[in-house]
Amino acid sequence: MSTPIGQVAKPIDSEPAPGDVAAAVRRSRLPSWVVILWANRKSRIGLIMLGLFIFVAVFAPLLATHDPKVTDFAQSLPPGGAHPLGTTASGQDILSQLVYGARTSIVVGLVAGTVVTFIALLVGLTAGYLQGWVDEVLSFLINLALVVPVLPLMITIAAYSPVRGLFLIIFVISITGWAWGARVKRAQILTLRSRDYITAARFAGEGRLRIIFAEIMPNMMSLVVAGFLGAAAGAIGAEAGLEFLGLGDPTTVSWGTMLYWANNSGAMLTGQWIWLGAPGLAIALLLSSLTLINFGVDALSNPHLRER
Amino acid sequence: MTERASLEPGAVSPEGAGSPLLSVENLSVSYAATRAVRDVSFQLHDGEFVGLLGESGSGKTTLGNALLRLLPPPGRISEGRVMWWGSARTGEAREGPEPHRAGRDLTTIGQEDLRRLRWREMSTVFQSSMNSLNPVLTIETQFRDVIEEHTAMRGAPARQRIGQLLEMVMLDPSYMRFYPHELSGGMKQRVALALALALRPRFVLLDEPTTGLDVIVQRSILDNVRALQREQGFAVLLISHDLGTVMEVSDRVMVMYAGKIVEDQRASTMIAEPMHPYTRGLLGAYADPRAREVEIAYIPGRPPDLSRPGQRGCLFAPRCQEAIDVCRAEEPVLSAMGQGEAACHVAEAAYAAGDGRRDQSARAGEVFTAPAGRTDRGPRVERRQEVLAVAGVHKRYRSRRGLKVTEVDAVQDVSFVLRAGTVTALVGQSGSGKTTLARMVTGVERPDTGSVTFGELRVDRLRGRGLKAYRRHVQLVFQDPFAALNPAHTIGYTLSRPLINHQDVTGAALRPAIEELLERVGLSPASTYIEKYPHQLSGGQQQRVVVARALAPDPEIIVADEPISMLDVSIRAEILELLDTLVRERGIAMLYITHDLLSARVLADEVLVLHNGKLVESGATLEVIRGARDAYTRQLLDAIPNPFATRRG
Ligand SMILES: Nc1ncnc2c1ncn2[C@@H]1O[C@H](COP(=O)(O)OP(=O)(O)O)[C@@H](O)[C@H]1O
Ligand code: SF4
Ligand SMILES: [Mg+2]
Repeated sequence: MSTPIGQVAKPIDSEPAPGDVAAAVRRSRLPSWVVILWANRKSRIGLIMLGLFIFVAVFAPLLATHDPKVTDFAQSLPPGGAHPLGTTASGQDILSQLVYGARTSIVVGLVAGTVVTFIALLVGLTAGYLQGWVDEVLSFLINLALVVPVLPLMITIAAYSPVRGLFLIIFVISITGWAWGARVKRAQILTLRSRDYITAARFAGEGRLRIIFAEIMPNMMSLVVAGFLGAAAGAIGAEAGLEFLGLGDPTTVSWGTMLYWANNSGAMLTGQWIWLGAPGLAIALLLSSLTLINFGVDALSNPHLRER
Repeated sequence: MTERASLEPGAVSPEGAGSPLLSVENLSVSYAATRAVRDVSFQLHDGEFVGLLGESGSGKTTLGNALLRLLPPPGRISEGRVMWWGSARTGEAREGPEPHRAGRDLTTIGQEDLRRLRWREMSTVFQSSMNSLNPVLTIETQFRDVIEEHTAMRGAPARQRIGQLLEMVMLDPSYMRFYPHELSGGMKQRVALALALALRPRFVLLDEPTTGLDVIVQRSILDNVRALQREQGFAVLLISHDLGTVMEVSDRVMVMYAGKIVEDQRASTMIAEPMHPYTRGLLGAYADPRAREVEIAYIPGRPPDLSRPGQRGCLFAPRCQEAIDVCRAEEPVLSAMGQGEAACHVAEAAYAAGDGRRDQSARAGEVFTAPAGRTDRGPRVERRQEVLAVAGVHKRYRSRRGLKVTEVDAVQDVSFVLRAGTVTALVGQSGSGKTTLARMVTGVERPDTGSVTFGELRVDRLRGRGLKAYRRHVQLVFQDPFAALNPAHTIGYTLSRPLINHQDVTGAALRPAIEELLERVGLSPASTYIEKYPHQLSGGQQQRVVVARALAPDPEIIVADEPISMLDVSIRAEILELLDTLVRERGIAMLYITHDLLSARVLADEVLVLHNGKLVESGATLEVIRGARDAYTRQLLDAIPNPFATRRG
């Protein structure tokens, strides 16, 4: 619960100096949210890590030394020489698979994160802003979606679906993952919509859409971004998990399928630690980068926190 | 015990009048370059009720937060200690010989110890506590969370305890089932108070706990706190900018200015004999609204910017009427004089020479005067042009809880007119229907019967587009300026919106129009404010921006809902003066909602007193206030914090 102790974000009772960050935001040509996140040390590390992953994903064809699907090489080679991380049990280059695997995870994180955030925003904002029976219906849906056990549902849908592949996984993650975000956003908008500055905006002649998007949304930015990061992280983890369980398309190249094949080929028994460890570590690092970025997110809609 | 204690310096309670519960030693707190609290020392004793008074920015909240280690980043305790002497006296240590009372330095103990200490030993209520209740949990759940985390109490006994706690703050236990948004601000603040007292702490920090609530609710909450404090013996540090409130409930008052405590003495003697020029200035902001001629003084100027390095001497000197040469060279230290302590060279010299009397009257500084009858706004009130007429309006609210339907007659048969260049004060306690009436005037609410007419326009029949167009003519000034300005937007953006929407000002014409608005409300040079965010302005400046936004569409009517009640005493008069000037110069009809009869007396031509939805008194301001016939009006007059009352009576 939010207790009256310690968790109250209230204005600091002294006249603050003009913020360095606020000034930096105005000077810079970068989008302001990047500048604000950059100002936080942990966020900065996270952004750099994420940037590296995105770089690898985008330039995978240039960075990878081999085609990740080609099975021409000697099987189960140890690291070294032309294959810095060795080869798989079916003779594929592990490093190239790792490089291409970044694409899958980034795409899943981005698309599923966006879809989940979008649904959560749409449902949360509509319920919270319109209230009345619309709210009751949507709140019922949210609560319903919240009590559904997500993991079994995900596995069931993925297992019984006639099609396999990335977009099924993204779809499954999206329709199971929005409820929590919607609930949080509804609660937030309930407290925001009754603020005096919203009434003031109405008297300044603003229309409903502008009130939602120009007055309320900027004050929910940290919630939206945190929700997006959480959803993206969840999606990346879920995708890897589903593929590891063999519920994805085993022919795609991703960290999840790498884990799946490594496990199925007994990499653990044959001592091919790198085959199993490298994708695992990559997933962990990507998820940590998102967590680190999250540390700076609070400053997005609270100008007070921007001062260092 | 004192002898034994003195063997172990540092780990035992200091001596003095009784033994302290909390002692603050040379505490300094800074936010990056800003030195918000500078070398503060004081003690708090068991069961003592101490007030901490000062205008916003003086460092009260920072000091309070530092005591409980709740400083938001980048706040940091840079020096000093906060010793807590409370813990050893509780629990098992009571048996056997009197133990050494080990003190704990709150600035260094670990997070885990601290967490255990908060709630159980010390707790707090903020002004914003009522808004920080979790909106999706019932009151009962929120109490359970606290009780179950810290005690072994569960199930029915816990429920019973919650009921007791609610009764203690004068709320019916049945409110347990409610969600926070179903309660009024005052009720939510009572809930926050009950939560703070749930584990019987020994020390409670109250930071502006009643600011923003109306006067009778304020009064009853504070009376309630005071009674509970006497009964249960916990110590209270009450932080407030409202001198009247602090003086009336506190045993002892500390006055803070620019990060330092400048005066510390018993409330009863402070009223009769304020020692520091700042305290004397603050006392000048109060007067009896029944007087034939009312003068309220304010201290000109602003507090210093504590982030500027190299400031010398007394930081109050630029605003001080009594300053002498030594003041600008040497900062005075808090030392014993008169019947307490103060930090002032002139006062010190005066007490050294005799009884401390100085020539300057307490009501020095700028003065805003309200004469017996307002003649400076043109013709007699009755001859001024009628702008809006409210005739025989009724409003009944129905609310449903399960099967039970309750009906409230919020407004019953109320009629009045608003006239150009005239301020009409609407006075009454919360729930009396003031807001409902104001909402009818603005068109947000429709009366069940009766009419609201603006010229030829039937406001009560407007909807959709017509209503939106009508807002051009009626604008609002809010109670809490910080809450009324979107924290995500600059001042320039905020002021541009009504200009674009209502006045069709666009492009290159926008900036000059914004600057003109800012200049008109006394924010100059305007260009320095346009790029600023609300949190970079002081409370008074924020309220000026809110007024500027209301002026943007060039409205005929302004509804001002308690526009000064959340401002510092020393700047209230300034804002009143601004409103007064605008009404006079622009011929605006103003509905001034308040529970503060002193400000109504100073600003308004006419007063309407509302009680339980009915108009119980109305007429020219002075007549209503001096000849208050209705019991409720008299109750309101008595509820005005009046620091001079005890001296008079
Ligand atoms: N939207 C509402 N629904 C139900 N009751 C309301 C509503 N608004 C106000 N009331 C009730 O109407 C009465 C008058 O309240 P209000 O107009 O808010 O007075 P004030 O502004 O003086 O606080 C109160 O008893 C309050 O509980
Ligand atoms: S020390 Fe001097 S300037 Fe400061 S309050 Fe006293 S008289 Fe005024
Ligand atoms: Mg009200």
